[in-house]
Amino acid sequence: MGAVEAQSRVRSSSRSSGVLPLLPFFAFTGFFLLWPVVAVTLKSLKGKNNEWTLDNFRPIIHSGPYFHSFIVSIKLAIITASIGSVVGAFFAFVIVTYVGGRLKNVLDSISAVFANSGGVPLAFMFIAAFGSNGLATKFIRFLGYDIYAGHFTIFSFTGVVLVYTFFQAPLMILVFQPAISGMRKEWREASTNLGASALTYWRRVGIPILLPPFIGAFFLLFAGGFSAYATARALTSGTVSIVPIVIGALVDGNTQASQANLGASLAVGMIVVALVIMIGYVWAQKSTAKWRQT
Amino acid sequence: MNKKDRVSSTLELRGVSRNFGPVTALDGLDLVVAPGELVALLGPSGCGKTTALRIVAGLEVATSGELFVNGERYNEVAANARDMGMVFQSYSLFPNLNVSENIEYGLRARKIGSAQRAKRVAEMLELVALESKAKSFPHQLSGGQQQRVALARALAIEPRVLLLDEPLSALDAQVRSQIRDEIRRIQLELGITTLFVTHDQEEALTISDRVGVMSNGRLEQIDIPDVLYNNPVSTFVANFVGTMNHIPTIASGDTVDIFGKKIRVKNSKGVNGSVSALVRPESIEVTRTSGSGNAKIITRSFLGASSQIICQTAEGAVIQALMPSHESGDLHPGEDVTLNVTLNEVLVSHV
Amino acid sequence: MASNLRNSSLQKWSIIIFASLLGFTLFILPVIASSIYSFQKPGGKGYSFISYTWLLHQAGFFPSVGTSLKLAVLAGILNISLMVPTMVYLNFTGQKLKPLVDFICILPLVIPVVSLAIGAQNAMPSFLQNTQYELVFFFVIIGLPFTYRTLDTALQAISLKTLVEASRSLGASWIRTIIRVIVPAIRGGITGALFLTFALSIGEYTITSLLHWETFPTWTVVASQQNILGAIALSVFSFVSAIALLATVALFSKKGARQVGVDQ
Repeated sequence: MGAVEAQSRVRSSSRSSGVLPLLPFFAFTGFFLLWPVVAVTLKSLKGKNNEWTLDNFRPIIHSGPYFHSFIVSIKLAIITASIGSVVGAFFAFVIVTYVGGRLKNVLDSISAVFANSGGVPLAFMFIAAFGSNGLATKFIRFLGYDIYAGHFTIFSFTGVVLVYTFFQAPLMILVFQPAISGMRKEWREASTNLGASALTYWRRVGIPILLPPFIGAFFLLFAGGFSAYATARALTSGTVSIVPIVIGALVDGNTQASQANLGASLAVGMIVVALVIMIGYVWAQKSTAKWRQT
Repeated sequence: MNKKDRVSSTLELRGVSRNFGPVTALDGLDLVVAPGELVALLGPSGCGKTTALRIVAGLEVATSGELFVNGERYNEVAANARDMGMVFQSYSLFPNLNVSENIEYGLRARKIGSAQRAKRVAEMLELVALESKAKSFPHQLSGGQQQRVALARALAIEPRVLLLDEPLSALDAQVRSQIRDEIRRIQLELGITTLFVTHDQEEALTISDRVGVMSNGRLEQIDIPDVLYNNPVSTFVANFVGTMNHIPTIASGDTVDIFGKKIRVKNSKGVNGSVSALVRPESIEVTRTSGSGNAKIITRSFLGASSQIICQTAEGAVIQALMPSHESGDLHPGEDVTLNVTLNEVLVSHV
Repeated sequence: MASNLRNSSLQKWSIIIFASLLGFTLFILPVIASSIYSFQKPGGKGYSFISYTWLLHQAGFFPSVGTSLKLAVLAGILNISLMVPTMVYLNFTGQKLKPLVDFICILPLVIPVVSLAIGAQNAMPSFLQNTQYELVFFFVIIGLPFTYRTLDTALQAISLKTLVEASRSLGASWIRTIIRVIVPAIRGGITGALFLTFALSIGEYTITSLLHWETFPTWTVVASQQNILGAIALSVFSFVSAIALLATVALFSKKGARQVGVDQ
């Protein structure tokens, strides 16, 4: 392409908003995001001898451990997203209502650190805090309650739930704050002025308005809890069998082709769950926020 | 609903004050709004007018003082039991409810049956001429339409008192005057006692029976618009209501010299030395002089029946005058003119 | 009336106190506990820096830190060079494709990273699979959701159209316009996007471990099997540095916004 041509292309694209300047973006995401997804899907449909088959999906449905790992993952995602969204929404409410100025900025920044903390370091920090000899464990024991009296260990499912809550709730604070800030004081006051009780206000106005963003945030937390790998891997060394850990074990080290294919089908299974969640999210938004559209 | 169906209420505030920490937002406000009267509280932001309105509505609590409706003490009545319809500045419609649902919100809270609710909603929609928008959501309405719905919603509960908290300030100029007139029409039609808070003097003067000018939490003056305009009791009121020239001059004793004419000072106590005389544009007469006058014309703007003439005096002060257009047609920029004040007494303020 | 006032302030303070206690237990206590723990001597008697200095003597420490830093810097730079022109173009032309780009940029949050990693194992050509630099591309992908939002917010806060038209009418080329006019105007957003990508890349574990590369996080997990106290010290250190890093980001983006006069 000559200089003159290039010049005129730039001119015309600025007027007619061509697609060409977006080519790098589409090429990049196409190759490094979409193509891997397509590739893993294709792989999951290949048998031992490279023939097309659905056999790889059979163990997910029929074999106990693989099916079970999906149940555990979904359970973990639902529990941590529920706790995280409720606790986070409460904090978001308190921050928006009672905290202002610099302290709010500080809290927002801290929330951001915590929300992004899901990873290897978090696991070790919780071992230090809530392990059987952890300082938080000792502190709580000192207060008169032994968290290790029952079946709890930090390396168990409950332990993972505890650790996930540590980053799910702050994520909720960040995601849900704009929705609460968007609640106008005038709505509450108009409701009172028109003779309604606080309960009526929340039932007729507050909750209907906050529900769509709450559901949206819940699904985001679900997606995060469902696909998180690093924390659980570092914390439990693979003993809590959530899908990502099962996949990791399948494709780790010297694996046979059949195991790799099974790993691929589990990965596709995760994508399917994620897509179902996505569709559920879109549907929930549509049906709870009719007043926003048209 | 029409005037005959209801008895209008009297609203009375006695010595109502409100402190926010060390700040006194409202400083002993006394105010009586007669049945069916529309009283505006006018003042710059922070003068306490909104605080007063919110105390009446029960959304704010008075630090001291008493509130009465029809002679009944209202201080302890909960905000949601006061039966006062309030129209907010903007964004007060519930975005998840359509126009009809917004209007019937207060009726539902009062457990009124659905047939009666529907009837009332229809009446209200007719009153504000929005029958066609019954099923629209707030975000589908223009700003003016939203405020009309807010008015209908406030009136649907047949309130004892109507409270308007700068309901026009978020609207375009053209829509503003239209809604303003509509509010007045409806208010007169229903004969409802109304307290109207605004910082826009034109709004206050055009639709109110009486206007109270507030500053620093106090009521400076409350009277009919004509008196406020022609006989302001203080320089603050004089400045805030209408346009005002500040003519620099020297006060000696109880007179000032304006354009060579001795004029009695209305607020003469303790005024001496350099002062500004406050003179309305229509109290200044501009005449052409053959020789050198005391000022020069800068511009003349034709406004219809009257024209605005801006002059500069030899001392450099810029003076605005308002004259009938037919008397000022021969005034052109650059010309020498003589200014005269057609007043017997004048307010002055310290420079 | 006075009692009303007292009631509402009582309610307010009980909510604030409850929130503070809950926040302390859930978020601050673990951090404090692990911080103190990280200074304990092995065996539990007394405190020292021994767990912190231990890692400095480990063979893999400096190479893995070096790798992580290198990859994170590259990912930040690549992310910015890809996304700044893309976002400027989208915002300037009011492109119909913006919702599509928006959707694509959300995908990394939706598609499980594990699935992406398994896909990458199968999809990448071998010349890429043979070098650790392949990770850079996936770090960029993982950073997309955050980069998109940050840059979009920054661009919407400036009057992009006016700036571009003024610069173009004065005869500047597109490239010159972006570099000399737009980039300075959205410096806060760019710094924010850069730091976010950097921070995400530094901590990325899933893709790295599934593609069998050794960076700082994967090395930490391996090292923890020898010395859990060392791993804890490392974790506390990286968490505290993350707080410092994000505080810097907050500072920078604030400043950037103020410089173009759109402080809200």
